[in-house]
Amino acid sequence: MKTSRPVAGTLAVAGYIIMIVPILFVVATAFSAGSTLKFPPDGLSLRWFGEALSYDPFLESLVTSLQLAVASTAIALLLGVPATIAIHRGRLPGKNIVESLFLSPLIVPELVVGLALFQQLVITYNLENASVLLIGHTALLLPYAVRVTGASLANADPSLEEAARGLGASPLRTFVTVTLPILRPGLFSAALLGFVTSFNNVPLSLLLQSRDARTLPVTMLDYVQQSYDPMVAATSTLILGATVVIAIIAERTLGFAKIFGGINR
Amino acid sequence: MRSRTTSLLVLPGLALLVLGFLIPSLAMLFSPPGTETGEIFVRLGEMITDPYELRIIGRTVAIGLVVVVVSITLGFPIAYLLARSQSRWAGVLLALAIFPLLLSNVVRTFGWLVILGSNGVIGQLLTGLGVLEEAPQLLYTELAIVLGLTQLFLPLAIISCYSAVSQVDAGLDDAARGLGASRTRTFWDVVVPLSLPGLVVAATLVFAGSVTAYTTPYLLGGSSQRMLSTQLFSYSSVTIDWAGASATAMIMTFLVFLVSGLSSLAARRGATS
Repeated sequence: MKTSRPVAGTLAVAGYIIMIVPILFVVATAFSAGSTLKFPPDGLSLRWFGEALSYDPFLESLVTSLQLAVASTAIALLLGVPATIAIHRGRLPGKNIVESLFLSPLIVPELVVGLALFQQLVITYNLENASVLLIGHTALLLPYAVRVTGASLANADPSLEEAARGLGASPLRTFVTVTLPILRPGLFSAALLGFVTSFNNVPLSLLLQSRDARTLPVTMLDYVQQSYDPMVAATSTLILGATVVIAIIAERTLGFAKIFGGINR
Repeated sequence: MRSRTTSLLVLPGLALLVLGFLIPSLAMLFSPPGTETGEIFVRLGEMITDPYELRIIGRTVAIGLVVVVVSITLGFPIAYLLARSQSRWAGVLLALAIFPLLLSNVVRTFGWLVILGSNGVIGQLLTGLGVLEEAPQLLYTELAIVLGLTQLFLPLAIISCYSAVSQVDAGLDDAARGLGASRTRTFWDVVVPLSLPGLVVAATLVFAGSVTAYTTPYLLGGSSQRMLSTQLFSYSSVTIDWAGASATAMIMTFLVFLVSGLSSLAARRGATS
């Protein structure tokens, strides 16, 4: 396909180089034995992986990041899924307005949301950074929860639920035996997307950070500013490895392009 | 479901959105802490007449536009080749283009420090080969920011273009070719016009992402190449200037809303014509 379309082929190769090559250099420098960030590295070793795994600020912020990602994803699903069901299956006045409200955090820049929550909830109302961080991440994930699970519901026939009710099933039983199985792929996608989005978030976590509420990406950014050694490269390589595992799980279960690209092949 | 049950299902989520997102956002725009009513508008007026601030706004918009052009120039061919390819590798290459979306921006951007830094690949190569005496200053430049943002947003451009191109019937390409059009002419006169809605979506997403991104201008632009995002952080966390931070947030939000508005207008025009 490259030989027959030289111009398009060349541009495409350039695009892949820009997307992928910087990531390869991160991995290459992570195995450096030297103490400055350079390429080619001064010798090979696993030294910086050891340093990264015993560096307390990274470990503590990793725990914070994981807790925050799990909690905000769970809350976003607990609040978002009932809303999705109401929007798609119920008689809800002002349905479109409600749906656009749930999607609205997507259109405001995250940095602006972070600033708003910091100014209004942390400074003015004196709430703790950690709780505001959780509120912010949850608000950020709600659009994904509503949109992704909504797509599963929109594709399914509502008459299935009506049939179950008509045959005498209680609302709860209908939910558990009919609606929930329909929702399952959407729930799974929304949970994966939510977790990854929260874990990787910088703007909200940056503006809402405090000494005991600092996430891993923010700690890494701080570290890069102070010292120029390969420890961040090693940490990045570990994150890359974990992300590849998540991508493979996604591919095996539902299809990667479908979950993360919104592409139906 | 009865309408009261339905409302109960929506209420908890709505409460979080209103209290934890909408009210704080509006309050921040109009009354930052410790400022008098209307002070922020005075500040906004000062900002859009101050040469230093104007340079930051100008740089942000210009970088956003350049990244849009580069991302579409590189992303559309990728989308087009993948959508039209029969090869089994196309699926792998598509996954490779989407994968970076899952990966932390910090990890993705960090690679450019290794490539562009003073001990980086390009510097070492040029001095090693004797082309230059000293490694050129590549990091902390606008070029570095453009490269970093292009890397970040190419996957979004590819996905939008891919959805658009896959909806253009490949039979139309064959028809144009059969009627004697060259490959190039078929591409420009058939494929591109029919994928235009996808291109508009791609451009909007990439622009909005570029003018609001923080990690890239922070790591690759530093304090010498400030953009609105790094300036906003500096106001809110270094100088603690709430009016300045809110005014910067207003300008940033305005840029994003302006472009989204223009793009939905273009989409509506396209649908009716």
